[in-house]
Amino acid sequence: MNACPFEDQIDRYLLNQLSGEEKDRFEEHYFNCAGCFEKLAGRDELVRAVKRQGEKLVRDLAAGKEPARLSVFQRLLSFPALKPWAVAAVSAALVLVVIFGLIPLLRKEAPPRFFLNDEGTVRGESLSLVSPVTDVKTAPAYLEWKKLGEDVEYKISVYDNKLLWTETTLKTRIAVPDDIRSRMTAGQKYSWEVRAFSSKGILIAVSNRVHFRISAE
Amino acid sequence: MKTKTEGLDLEQVILKYKPVITFRVKKALGSHGPDWEDVVQEILSQAVQKIQSGEFRGDSSAGTFLYTITSRRIIDFIRHKTKVLKEAPEPVPLADPYKDAVERERSEMLASALAKLKPKYREVLYLYYYQELSRDEVAARLGIPVRKVSERVNYAQKLMKKLVRK
Repeated sequence: MNACPFEDQIDRYLLNQLSGEEKDRFEEHYFNCAGCFEKLAGRDELVRAVKRQGEKLVRDLAAGKEPARLSVFQRLLSFPALKPWAVAAVSAALVLVVIFGLIPLLRKEAPPRFFLNDEGTVRGESLSLVSPVTDVKTAPAYLEWKKLGEDVEYKISVYDNKLLWTETTLKTRIAVPDDIRSRMTAGQKYSWEVRAFSSKGILIAVSNRVHFRISAE
Repeated sequence: MKTKTEGLDLEQVILKYKPVITFRVKKALGSHGPDWEDVVQEILSQAVQKIQSGEFRGDSSAGTFLYTITSRRIIDFIRHKTKVLKEAPEPVPLADPYKDAVERERSEMLASALAKLKPKYREVLYLYYYQELSRDEVAARLGIPVRKVSERVNYAQKLMKKLVRK
């Protein structure tokens, strides 16, 4: 079956990576292409389900990696025809591989430096927000903040007088979905903050809550 | 009762395009609250009216015709809503316990289907859709060819479809 050339854009569209004319053309296309629409609708449900599950999807997989190295080690040692010097060399190499492989597990994660400020709020490493930090003309298309480190997961929360939207990402920038932007109105005040979590799910930083207003027309 | 106008069967048009119009409207306005339902109905009414009045004669494709109406209606709605919300805050939409329960059940079904997938599929879905890495980056991370990334995503979707149907 010939693939439709627009099929490649399905994922980018669902991850809000298409914009402007490209986005319009793709949207018009799926009104006209039953194949693409069917794939799009199915893929949309899958992407939403994956985003809801997040880390839970792969939690069990991190645990299972180490034993394989030990069994290779064991298998090599039991091979009868190896000369003694070869066995020694291979064993030494494997011991080093095992040790260096296990070091990440043995090293404890440095505890985050937390303290209570005057408002009784927990603050740790400083996480700086980049944009938006002042009043804006239209609802922001993106939220951006400074990178904190490697393997950090960020949780973004946007508020008017209550929580409007929350999302997590490993990047330092996130697209605000159309339906949230459409609910943000001129003259209104909003605020947002970002929390950073280590790969083990420990909270390591909370940004300040930054307020911004969408200028009245 | 079917109305044939210039070879276009109205009922068929509505049946065929309602899902795609609904998808587009929900994406723009969100799927919570009654707004999207009202807007979809308005779009369909407008389309029917234009076909019946002869304003649409089939010179462009039906899909493009409906896409145009849908896009304009979404823009108009957002513009109107922006004006309305300037005066008063948005009322909290009435909870629909039946709809909420149906949605929750579907989410749970999808979550348990995902959990049943083999690690190699879950890994790819996690890296590609949750971490939003490119196909090249996913391939490099897992040590597999790029085309395998697409294959696994497509196959995972097929498996999910089967698992959720049960």
